[in-house]
Amino acid sequence: MALAQPYDVIIVGSGAGGGMSAYHLTKSGLKVLMLEAGRHYDPVAETPMFNTNAQAPLRGVGTPDKPFGFYDATVDGGWQVPNEPYTVAEGSEPFTWWRPRMLGGRTNHWGRISLRFGELDFKPHSRDGLGHDWPITYQDVAPWYDRTEKLVGVTGRAAGLFNTPDSPPGCLLEPPPPRAFEIFYARGFAAMGIPTIPMHGAVVTQAMEGRNTCVFATPCGRGCAIGANFQSTTVLLPPAMATGNLTITTNALVYQVDLDKAGKAKGVSYVDRVTGEHHAATARAVVLAAGSGETARILLNSRSAGFPNGLCNTHGMVGRYLMDSVGLGVYGQFPALEGLPPTTVDGMSVEHIYAPWWGYDKQKELGFPRGYHVEVGGGRRMPSMGMAGLLPDDETSVGDDLRGRLRHRYGSTISFNGRGEMIPNDDCYCELDPTVKDKWGIPVLRFHWKWGESETRQAAHMVQTFLGVIDKLGGKPDPHVETDGKKAISKGGEMIHEIGTARMGHNETDSVVNQYGQSWAVANLFVMDGAVMVSSPDKNPTLSILALAWRSADNLVTLARQGTL
Amino acid sequence: MNEQIPQPYVSKIDRRTALTWIGVVGAATAVGAGVVIYGPRTGGEPSTRGYGTDPKLAKPDPAPWSRIMVPAQLQTAAILADFILPASGAAPSASTLGVPDFIDEWVSAPYPDQLRDRPIVMNGLNALGARVLKAGAAGRAAALAALPVSSDPATQAFWKKFRRLTIGAYYTTEAGFKDIGYIGNVARASDPGPSDEVKAAVEQQLQKLGL
Repeated sequence: MALAQPYDVIIVGSGAGGGMSAYHLTKSGLKVLMLEAGRHYDPVAETPMFNTNAQAPLRGVGTPDKPFGFYDATVDGGWQVPNEPYTVAEGSEPFTWWRPRMLGGRTNHWGRISLRFGELDFKPHSRDGLGHDWPITYQDVAPWYDRTEKLVGVTGRAAGLFNTPDSPPGCLLEPPPPRAFEIFYARGFAAMGIPTIPMHGAVVTQAMEGRNTCVFATPCGRGCAIGANFQSTTVLLPPAMATGNLTITTNALVYQVDLDKAGKAKGVSYVDRVTGEHHAATARAVVLAAGSGETARILLNSRSAGFPNGLCNTHGMVGRYLMDSVGLGVYGQFPALEGLPPTTVDGMSVEHIYAPWWGYDKQKELGFPRGYHVEVGGGRRMPSMGMAGLLPDDETSVGDDLRGRLRHRYGSTISFNGRGEMIPNDDCYCELDPTVKDKWGIPVLRFHWKWGESETRQAAHMVQTFLGVIDKLGGKPDPHVETDGKKAISKGGEMIHEIGTARMGHNETDSVVNQYGQSWAVANLFVMDGAVMVSSPDKNPTLSILALAWRSADNLVTLARQGTL
Repeated sequence: MNEQIPQPYVSKIDRRTALTWIGVVGAATAVGAGVVIYGPRTGGEPSTRGYGTDPKLAKPDPAPWSRIMVPAQLQTAAILADFILPASGAAPSASTLGVPDFIDEWVSAPYPDQLRDRPIVMNGLNALGARVLKAGAAGRAAALAALPVSSDPATQAFWKKFRRLTIGAYYTTEAGFKDIGYIGNVARASDPGPSDEVKAAVEQQLQKLGL
């Protein structure tokens, strides 16, 4: 198939970075071809919003085919994607990589937690000598956060906490009131001097022009048929399509950026995942937004005489500084919540409140340099196959006794989950595997991972904090809780916040791209996903990916208008 | 405990599900919604296909793998499921809700967790079946009552696993929702938060904790 139409820009990927780039570029009048490795996806027709677990095979439990449960929005993927392996180097700590193969990528199922990075988060090295500073400040990104929040629809309220940015008036939507278990646990944290504040969630909770309001009933991880939460497929791609400037080709697995004789990007090569046919597409500029792993893979696979080790990789920076969030959870069972009158935890699906990091002025005495925030789940959720877990393992009741015990304990468990900052290190990176290839013969990524002590100590502190709050609330913790941070910490990649493989910086020796995602090596090649990130604050990355992509896309428009692409 | 002779268990799978298996179950006859009569397997390779990485979510198809439990095992599963959750007031029994069919779907599934559970459940059902299927009421009751207190590791593992599966299968149904007091999954114009009654109850507990 020849793609005859001249395009201004090819965007690889349709998730947060690709979707936002397409939104701004097409609205600015540029002709865009979007290449998505996965299939077309229609949230209106495909979202199982109100389905019960009994309607699903195996009552909806996770399987290797659907690791986050049958109804999770992810299509054709998860920790493994058929025909598209990856490897983990011998001697590395575990690393795992979540990929979907669908239009909109991970924005269809993501957690919708939308926290701005703070001033410190852009200058971590200046703060304590660890990690690296971004070439930009919070002030550079703040206007783009404002715009992004107004477009996406994000809840929240100013809290006035350090390094936890408030948004200007008019940016945020009304946060829903805390649920019963949230009122409960917040008081435990308060007694420990840990404030809890309204969550910033990408859910439309009040009238918002052009958007449907949340129905406060169904899990966002399934996606949203009415577009009341943020997905690229409901918020970014429809208006981009409406401009008439966007062409989307699905099942197009891009593996290479093609250069012309002058060394500029002339387009990309891709394989059709269904037919196996190879195609080339051309445009005046190329935007990579395939996700940090895949974006690095495309660059590394784009080898030429000028770039024998991969495009933009002359200084060995592609694949470097791979980061994730530190994560772990501890649950407790709370007699104080037993036998509460029936109430629902349905709401905006995202947590209604959370605890931002509270220890900025105590890092030295705490013994680890960077912080974490706490996401908390619990309450009387729709019953699942895990219901028997409400009872102790050695419990043997049957009949009315069993019914009574379950009724009494239902809704009395709470899980505390930490999400913490990781400092980039030299042992965490990805490269091409020297031998393993995917179904189409394209070399795959090999990951290297090793948590630093900054992370494992932080993880140990998370466990102690959660045991502390469980105790304050009169609860009984998970009897099998692991207190050793090295063992309790999540696997690399497991938090699905992998970022930083083509970071931005000051020059081509310390980074792959400049502050606008423009690659140092090829002036009309851009990166607009999480790969550009320099640090991995505890704040979940998606909102920042969106804001940075918008900022970078706006710069690309300026360059296009100047004729300097 | 129910001392009556147990009713023969009739599968609660729907006609559509039954028809998807007919090629492999062979002599199973779908005679109408909710009723499937099993016969001996007449041939055809059983399907061990999973639902794949892109199943239809909004209107899920029945699980595509063949079921491996035979009528005696389903009958035993019904007896045990109803020992764990017999009918009570308005709440139906586990077998009425088709829990044995779900156990069959579970142990027949081609995924690692379920394949691990398969021998535990199947061996347990076979051993229990020998004690309950032809026993009188008293013998049956004794065999069931012996399960939770058995010191045999395989029997303990079977009991725990089967009970967990029964509880999960039961409370994920609409009848289970009603019994446990789950309210939710209903579209609302706004989220008013918990009621004053709930907030007062939480407050009372917090005060007891000195919070």
